[in-house]
Amino acid sequence: MAHVVSSLDQPSNYKDSQARVDRQKQNDLLSKSSTLYIGNLSFFTTEEQIYELFSKCGSPEEGGGVKRIIMGLDRNTRTPCGFCFVEYYTNAEALACMRYVSGTKLDERVIRCDLDLGYKEGRQFGRGKSGGQVRDEHRQDYDAGRGGWGAQAQRMEMERRREVEERYADAQDGPGAVAGGGGDWKEASGGDQTLKRGRSPDDEGDSSRAGHRMKAEDPDIEPERM
Amino acid sequence: MSYNRGYGRRRNRDDDYDDRRRDVYESPEEKIRSLIIKFGDADAEQELPQVANQLRERALQSIPAVAEGFRIGVTEEPYKIPYYAALLRSLHQPTEESASSGSIAKQILDDFWKGFQSFLDKLAWREIRLCLHFFTHLTVAQVISPSSMLALLQAFTAVLEEFGVSHGRGKHAALCASEALMRAGRILKQYSAPEVTTLINIIQNYADSASSNKPLVAPIVLLHSPNKSVEGADELLDTVLIVLKALDAVNFEEPTSAYLEPYLNLPPLDTTVSPYYDLPSVLVPPEAIELENITGEGGEAGAQTQKKEEWPEYVIRLFDNDVTADHTSPAGYPVRTLISDIVDIFEVNRKECARLLLDLAKWTPPGTFKPRPGAPVQNGEETGKLWQLESCIIETILSKLCRLPDTVHKPMYYISLITELCKGSPQTVGPAVGKSIRKLYGLLADGFDVEVARRFTEWFATHMSNFGFQWVWKEWIPDLSLTSHHPKRNFIRRAIETEIRLSYHDRILKTLPEPFLAPEADALPEQAPGPEFDYDDPLRPHHDAAQSLLNLLRGRSKADDVIAHIETLKNNLVESSDGDVNVDQVIRSITMQSLLHIGSRSFSHFLNAIERYLPVLRSIATSADAKADILMSAVEFWRRNRQMVGIVFDKLMQYQIVDPSDVVAWAFTARGDARAGTIDAFAWDLVKGALDKANGRVLIAKKKVALLRKEEDDDRARAKAHQNMEVDGDTAPENQPSIDSPALTTALKANATLTREQKAVLSRTLNEFVNALSDSSSILSEKSWHNRVNWEDADWDLWETWGWYRNFCRVYAPYLDSYSTALSTVAFSKIEGSRDVAHVLLRNIWNISLGQEP
Repeated sequence: MAHVVSSLDQPSNYKDSQARVDRQKQNDLLSKSSTLYIGNLSFFTTEEQIYELFSKCGSPEEGGGVKRIIMGLDRNTRTPCGFCFVEYYTNAEALACMRYVSGTKLDERVIRCDLDLGYKEGRQFGRGKSGGQVRDEHRQDYDAGRGGWGAQAQRMEMERRREVEERYADAQDGPGAVAGGGGDWKEASGGDQTLKRGRSPDDEGDSSRAGHRMKAEDPDIEPERM
Repeated sequence: MSYNRGYGRRRNRDDDYDDRRRDVYESPEEKIRSLIIKFGDADAEQELPQVANQLRERALQSIPAVAEGFRIGVTEEPYKIPYYAALLRSLHQPTEESASSGSIAKQILDDFWKGFQSFLDKLAWREIRLCLHFFTHLTVAQVISPSSMLALLQAFTAVLEEFGVSHGRGKHAALCASEALMRAGRILKQYSAPEVTTLINIIQNYADSASSNKPLVAPIVLLHSPNKSVEGADELLDTVLIVLKALDAVNFEEPTSAYLEPYLNLPPLDTTVSPYYDLPSVLVPPEAIELENITGEGGEAGAQTQKKEEWPEYVIRLFDNDVTADHTSPAGYPVRTLISDIVDIFEVNRKECARLLLDLAKWTPPGTFKPRPGAPVQNGEETGKLWQLESCIIETILSKLCRLPDTVHKPMYYISLITELCKGSPQTVGPAVGKSIRKLYGLLADGFDVEVARRFTEWFATHMSNFGFQWVWKEWIPDLSLTSHHPKRNFIRRAIETEIRLSYHDRILKTLPEPFLAPEADALPEQAPGPEFDYDDPLRPHHDAAQSLLNLLRGRSKADDVIAHIETLKNNLVESSDGDVNVDQVIRSITMQSLLHIGSRSFSHFLNAIERYLPVLRSIATSADAKADILMSAVEFWRRNRQMVGIVFDKLMQYQIVDPSDVVAWAFTARGDARAGTIDAFAWDLVKGALDKANGRVLIAKKKVALLRKEEDDDRARAKAHQNMEVDGDTAPENQPSIDSPALTTALKANATLTREQKAVLSRTLNEFVNALSDSSSILSEKSWHNRVNWEDADWDLWETWGWYRNFCRVYAPYLDSYSTALSTVAFSKIEGSRDVAHVLLRNIWNISLGQEP
């Protein structure tokens, strides 16, 4: 199928503008990606709301599920700034979201999903001048869900905001700031040796290698997205 | 999209430009292909002569491209099939210029047949069935000979008489033959009435023999008489036979055809100039034998999808026959099937799918659907069935959403497709959705299957979250007086809970009328969901101990220090207590709750806390009791947020702190609330999470084994080839034994461990169900069911548990199959030979789900 209409699970022209890998490699990574970039979130939307919606595209019976959610934060204030990454265990789950969830509403806003190269350190922060996302720098309209344009957000929203603001006050950067979400099942008994052996041949090693390479090529990691 | 905004994009602009240019270039083959695919997009009747002329001019140079165009059109745009038949028939008509070169139609069909043959080889059933539709239209159009069409159908009914044919294969073959008969029966019966009768009889015999497991997948359940047919749902093959027999009774001469037959308007063919095309004879190839199963070593995911087909398929009916297409009527069946096929084919693009569906009236005989108000009425549109298009669409999609044991696509697809339809035409689709919700809600009291009810809840809440949570809750106010665990009240509670999860407490509160907010309505909690740290209150016991632990955790102390501190706390507790406290239990509770407390701000905070202190968790999760305590502490901490309970359980399993069996045990027995000992939707979600976790792990382990084994086999083959090339034989170890690599050995060992765990959790679940339901005969009689208005919570709890037991057996049948004897011997030993109705039903459901004699 797809001779007659195009499939919704194709990567769009969204890309990590600061990724330092060539186009071919990017396409290759995207075709296997199990990570989604989610955009146009309300600043007030919580991870649990995101989890609830995105778990509907999970396939736990095939070893899948929501691995982790990384909330996009304002670089300066450490408050949510309207995007996040949802990482699954499998590529098929990410594709299902592209087909079924992208373009539907979460917290009463139409959200957008895009396949992503995969989270790396620093990408959880906004890249705009003032700390949030670039798109919110020059926005002309009033958007209550994304900080409005003045201080006149509705009182209801303000109450929720106070809660939200404190939530990530403890956010860290640097390695290990973000949890991994738990890896594949591993043999528990038998100590470290079997653990290592069990791990070496599978894809976990590959992905960490790829991560190193990207980091090496990208010494001045800047926050996420244009 | 804008190409000028944003400096970061400039770098890629040239690439994008190239892409666009490449897209524009089309080879002559691609042009002719897309001419056929796009044929009819504007107005098929008008385009027909023109496209036929273009093809006459250009087709001969590129027959394969033309045939491919037809193949794509027929299998991906089934609504156009009658027009494709008309187009081909036009090409079958010789013109003065083409008379010399013979029929182009024949050459196209020759090539089309190759494609059909490859669909057959792959057993791509939908494509096969749609090609058959095309052939039957061509038979009516006098292009294909009735004799060869009949022979083709006999090839499909031959499948039904194969020994031990699987239900999936049988069902599809029966549908292929039946739907073809519905279209071409008129011609075929004229050609040979006895052979048509034989075809119908074979299909009838097959349907009769294949229905033994029907009771387990009926969307409406009567536990006291599972085989009784229920109103509102029919099995697909049964409906097909009703339609076939109705058609046969009138020799397939319906007064107005249920199908478009545009080719009948073309000038009649002279069969001496344009002879019939004879379809080649064919055999439906056998299924590839699935040697590996999903629980043994090396199985593949394919086995499960195949198993999904092994069940009869029910079609749900929500509206009256004058409102929507009745799938048991000759005119209604094709409408339902066409909608269903479009929904399946366009799964990749729900937006296009919705657009097409709303435009469906264009592709059905005039008068099939009621014209839109205000639209100009064309000839023939004022009389006919005049069904409501939107209600037909929603009814068909919901029927697919209610398929048991599983939907074809994820439920989320159907949900967002309906959202898309509502966005496309709110004034017409909105009311159809509202009416459907009311009908489904009504079924809740009459035995609506619990899994289908669960999907209904999911749909309802997700749908509402896309449309401002606007629902007329006040019409359900009277139902708040039903007993608390009545399915309708369960639905209300779950729907509101799911809405709150997708939104937030105060938002949903505002959408509900006053009576829902009363405490006795028990429709939603008074407070927004949140954590409950039991050691927060300085007056509570162990407050100080918990505070000291919290301080360490907040200060990000090393796990070893935390473990040491916990040991100290434990010793203090032993000294200070008089032996009346379970010290281990208290310590586990303090530790678990404290960890959850520092991770209570969000899902990520929870993951961070758990991940940082995995050694601490391992140090307290030392026994089955300890694991039960850990789960219980999590439930207590998140008692006001059941979503988090599910999340915490899932990740505790993921991090291997607890095992799936521990979760199952908790869900059945340890939960310690009013519903302990039975299973409701919440508990089932936990059980399902545990079973899926265990099964998913085995699946991954098997894939890993298969991959490593293949790599090693390849390596060995290469090494061997290399050896053989070396003439010098003195160093070659001739009989080198094939030793598995360490990686493969580890993978095999992991697979064995996980398979054991899988068996354990399946076994545990079955035993728990048997325990929970052994003493439930009181609700199983017909009399009791008819008296259900007087049932109390405990009766409904048992009824619901029965529902989840049926669901367990049918969903996990492919996994249970491998261990069926071992599992059932243990689980049913206590009730062996008992004639108690509950005991008999427990065994029956088990046996039916595994395809054994009930």
